[in-house]
Amino acid sequence: MDALVRDCHKLSKHQAASTQKALSAVDFAIEQLEQVRTQLPTESSAVAHKEALEKAQAQIDSTHTIVSEQLKELYGNVSKYGKHVEKAFKMDLSFVSESRAFEDKKEILAQSILLHFLREGDFETGSSFAKEAGLELPRETQAQFEAMYNTVSAIRAPQHDLTPALAWAVQNREQLEAHGIMLEFELHRLRFLQLVEQGAPIEALGYARKWFPRFGRRKQDVPQPEENDGDVAMGEDDMLEDGHTGHRTETAAARAAMAHAAHSQLEEIEHLMGIFIFARRLDDSPYAGQFTAQRWEDGAHLFASAFCTLLGLSSSSPLSVTIGAGARALPIVCKVSGLLRDKRVEWSQQNELAVEVPLPDDMRFHSVFACPVSKEQATLENPPMMMPCGHVVCKASLDKLAKGVRPGAIASGRFKCPYCPGMSCLTDAKRVHF
Amino acid sequence: MDKINVDHMLAIEEPFIKAPLEQLKRTVRQSQRQVERETAQVNAALKSLIKEGDSVAAGDMADTLDEQVGRLKELRRKLEEAKQEEALLIQRSKQRAADLHELNEFESSTQPEFQRWCRARLDRVLIDYMLRSGNVDTAHKLAASGGLEHFADTSLFALVMSIERELCEQHSCQGALQWCAENRSALRKIQSPLEFELRLQEFIEMIRASRTPEAIVYAKKHLTQWSDTQLPRIQRAMTLLAFSPGTRCPPYKSMFDEARWGQLALEFRSVIFQLFNLPAQPLLHLLLQTGLSALKTPACISDDSTEHNRNCPVCQIDTLGRLAKDLPLSHHVHSNLVCRITGERMNEDNPPMRLPNGYVYSLNALTEMAKLGGRVKCPRTGQAFAIADAKKLFIS
Repeated sequence: MDALVRDCHKLSKHQAASTQKALSAVDFAIEQLEQVRTQLPTESSAVAHKEALEKAQAQIDSTHTIVSEQLKELYGNVSKYGKHVEKAFKMDLSFVSESRAFEDKKEILAQSILLHFLREGDFETGSSFAKEAGLELPRETQAQFEAMYNTVSAIRAPQHDLTPALAWAVQNREQLEAHGIMLEFELHRLRFLQLVEQGAPIEALGYARKWFPRFGRRKQDVPQPEENDGDVAMGEDDMLEDGHTGHRTETAAARAAMAHAAHSQLEEIEHLMGIFIFARRLDDSPYAGQFTAQRWEDGAHLFASAFCTLLGLSSSSPLSVTIGAGARALPIVCKVSGLLRDKRVEWSQQNELAVEVPLPDDMRFHSVFACPVSKEQATLENPPMMMPCGHVVCKASLDKLAKGVRPGAIASGRFKCPYCPGMSCLTDAKRVHF
Repeated sequence: MDKINVDHMLAIEEPFIKAPLEQLKRTVRQSQRQVERETAQVNAALKSLIKEGDSVAAGDMADTLDEQVGRLKELRRKLEEAKQEEALLIQRSKQRAADLHELNEFESSTQPEFQRWCRARLDRVLIDYMLRSGNVDTAHKLAASGGLEHFADTSLFALVMSIERELCEQHSCQGALQWCAENRSALRKIQSPLEFELRLQEFIEMIRASRTPEAIVYAKKHLTQWSDTQLPRIQRAMTLLAFSPGTRCPPYKSMFDEARWGQLALEFRSVIFQLFNLPAQPLLHLLLQTGLSALKTPACISDDSTEHNRNCPVCQIDTLGRLAKDLPLSHHVHSNLVCRITGERMNEDNPPMRLPNGYVYSLNALTEMAKLGGRVKCPRTGQAFAIADAKKLFIS
């Protein structure tokens, strides 16, 4: 890509120079022709006319040559850049673009996009889209998001007002902590930087004294109220009621498990406090990078995502998670479709993708068990089974292992685990639910 | 897993880089043609003045010269316009290449800078979708709010839309034919019969308006050049002369059908996309389809709603889940276990533990639970156990 950027840079320089040359050549031709035109009444002899015209014609010819050459050279450079592009991109998206999978689902797609705009706090785009695509903004959704909209716009406004966001974060402190969302600290951090930027170091220091200590303490230092027993009981009830529609449910267990995620912000606070040394020359300090305009967008985004999480929606936009997964999957699916082209099976018509798409942990939402022996995914009919040694294989593989025992050992029905020396028999194996 | 596969990330960006490049090529080509044509005209005019010499009246000569000066000035104006367009397209190419180049600087997919980059990518994919589906206002709002104007091929889609509208609403081939004339060599290269289809439509319209003699002249002039490849269709078109627009005879009825205009618009769109290296479907569709497939597991489509995860896009049963309905499931040859309580991945560092009732949770979740209440309670069955009864699983 670096080479392409350089190509473009060169191209742009060359184009500017060639524009200059081409345009001045045309200007010159215009000038010449106008001269002939103005001299026309004064020159009476036919010979002089002819001479002047011939001169003009020669000028047009040379202009034509100059401009054409410039354009030809430019085209040559553009094609050269095009060849480099050609080399850098070899994927043919047409293998996958034939899919008709969304043909009858345009409306649902549009609804999903609209919801994405709303939950990202981009209401203007959302309402414009609703209008253009003829979609109804669901009234309850609109009302739900109204509070969020006001807060998010306050963050985005030129004054970058964090007050409503902070008030909301404090009000929902417990729930946010349970979900491991560091919104409150992040907002304090933004406010602190804002004070520094506004040239109010005294206020910034006061602000830091007032708000940061709470986040500097390690988890075990925070005094725990004596509410453990009751809390656990309640938490468990929640958990059962809630089913498992969300992994990060507000249960005591989840809260406890999240505790190690909500680790101390001490390091970040130390980093921030160092800023006072540079208060008068932020621009060329190591802190210059903290003051990008982008930080408000990030803050607004974090708020919107926290808000949605507490509403019981997914913590990040489903559309953006899917596109992230798609960016990883598309090249792989595309490559395989290219290889399987002769089979004439459209990729989207199959029951299962032909290859595994590696996804990062934050895009994995369900346990998948693939039997290490058969490489097949576990199903209800072929569930995962644990042998006494703790190794897990699918039931079908287990049956095969049991049948394949050495002749002498049949009577005992025992067989060796494929992964360790442990011996087991069919009746020892226990069902596992992930 | 948090590593970023830059090659893969780049592989799908071909249209993003190529759209401005192809436009640039066409702009230069067009300027070349204009210069050829205009200078040739001026030259011819001067030549005839020289040749005819004295016989031309002074006034006529002045008029001709004025005309040529005007012609050159017009050429200069057009050239300047084209040059500005070129500069803009080069600038765009540079910005886009620079955007993709940024990918090399990211180390992990959890880095905030990378997530920011991904948000911008989603926005530009959405802008492309909006432009393609004619939601121009939304596209502009989206581009303006993210400062992504240079990522939107606005002028290209404006051209597509205006020609399509002309075809579908005004039933006129004029704009489309002009576009064909400007891109004739490129069309020939991909062997597109678009121009023939447009000519055929004009021919059909003449018959519909009972301008038969005119239609025959038109066919002689414009359809015959296609006789190498389209002879059977030309013959069928000529047979149309024998039928009236109200005919029920199948092939002729469909030729008179007004729906042909819609087909022409579709054909035009597919050809212009092909020329500019744009995929037939918006990238949004492709990414959503493959993305949903890669995320889809049997748990997502289970009737048992406790299997669903609210953070999973496929589990959004009213929206993305419905889009994913007919798509393939993901394929796995390796196990990947996610703890139901914490959402964390279970591996050697945080091993899966099987409770005596068969249900599995991560060690982290169980230890934290045990710290609070001593015993661990299975959230799915409500049974309580001592943590010592949980057995560590080995997943290879």
